[in-house]
Amino acid sequence: MMDQHEDPKFEQWLRDAAKSYHSPLPTPREEMWQRIEAARRHKQVIAIRPWMRWALAAAALLVLGIGIGRLSVREQQVVRVPHTTVTDTIDALANQAYQVAATQYLSRTESFLTAFRADANRSANTARLARQARDLLTTTQLMLDSPAAQDPRLRSLLEDLELVLMQISLLNPLEDDRDRDLITQGMNQSNVLPKLRSAIPAGPVPVRTEGAL
Amino acid sequence: MDESQLIARVRAGESAAERALYDAHVDRVYRLAYRLAGDDALAQEFTQETFIRAFDKLSSFRGDAAFSTWLHTITTTVVLNGLRKVKRFRQREADIDDAHDIGTTQRHAEPDLKVRLKQAIDELPEGYRTVFLMHDVEGYTHEEIGAALGVETGTSKAQLSRARAKLRVALADFAGEWTT
Repeated sequence: MMDQHEDPKFEQWLRDAAKSYHSPLPTPREEMWQRIEAARRHKQVIAIRPWMRWALAAAALLVLGIGIGRLSVREQQVVRVPHTTVTDTIDALANQAYQVAATQYLSRTESFLTAFRADANRSANTARLARQARDLLTTTQLMLDSPAAQDPRLRSLLEDLELVLMQISLLNPLEDDRDRDLITQGMNQSNVLPKLRSAIPAGPVPVRTEGAL
Repeated sequence: MDESQLIARVRAGESAAERALYDAHVDRVYRLAYRLAGDDALAQEFTQETFIRAFDKLSSFRGDAAFSTWLHTITTTVVLNGLRKVKRFRQREADIDDAHDIGTTQRHAEPDLKVRLKQAIDELPEGYRTVFLMHDVEGYTHEEIGAALGVETGTSKAQLSRARAKLRVALADFAGEWTT
């Protein structure tokens, strides 16, 4: 039995008419494949992270063991059982490694966005800006998938940065001025830079870790 | 060579097999991304992200469903999440534009069918719009849509029916075109 809402004539007309909605262009296979390969090569560098975790964890356990040994010698009267399990320690250290990488990445992003906003005379080359934004965007997305993003405040900041960097990476040279103004206004409105600066711990930026992240 | 063999070769690290798998599916993924995003740069971004995730997670593909179904689950997740983020950003831009437009008057010309249809589809709730575009425009079955979106087949059918009903109301001015 036909549903009371069904109307084959309307449905056929709608299907035909809707073909013009967001009608796709020919698939740019080669361009996309090249970028997929490049991104995957970059990710393979990151694939050493689990190995790094274990190395860090092993080193830390050694230090922890020595520390516990010393404590137990000093405090013979009170035997304290540490609550920290091996898994906790590994996770804590892995997170610490991510935090170092996050700080380094946030500093680079802060420099880039500050330079972008300050470039009032539009001297910077759009293609170069877009390329730098794409590089940072890739790292942002990796950070979003990492344990560092378990912190809700950092996650929210990373999501804001992802939006800004995506817009810069899509900058159209023909509408450059208008697009840049919109991006800058958006950044100001959402306080991206102040939030970014407050997320960077005081003190020197950790050693550069581009190879790791 | 059948697809399961191709997938096994990709898992073994053969780059030629990766390319073959990409070639077999990229058109459909890109088409869907484009239909949903309406922007070439975004569609490319989403397509790339889909394949990067698919290759990374291929070890978790158990073969219970067709590879294309699994891939389209990733596609819809990537596209819909990406569009939500872009929408948030564009909303900020629109707010700024609105602030600039205060005190100005706007005139709306009578739009043609193409414009009205686009507006009507854009205004559909996300779930209705996704199901409508996948089914009526890109030709996915309700089973494929249900699997990709993680909903029951009946839900997909119901959403399509509601989407069509809303579009029928929105395009009532053009009723003469389908009743004749």
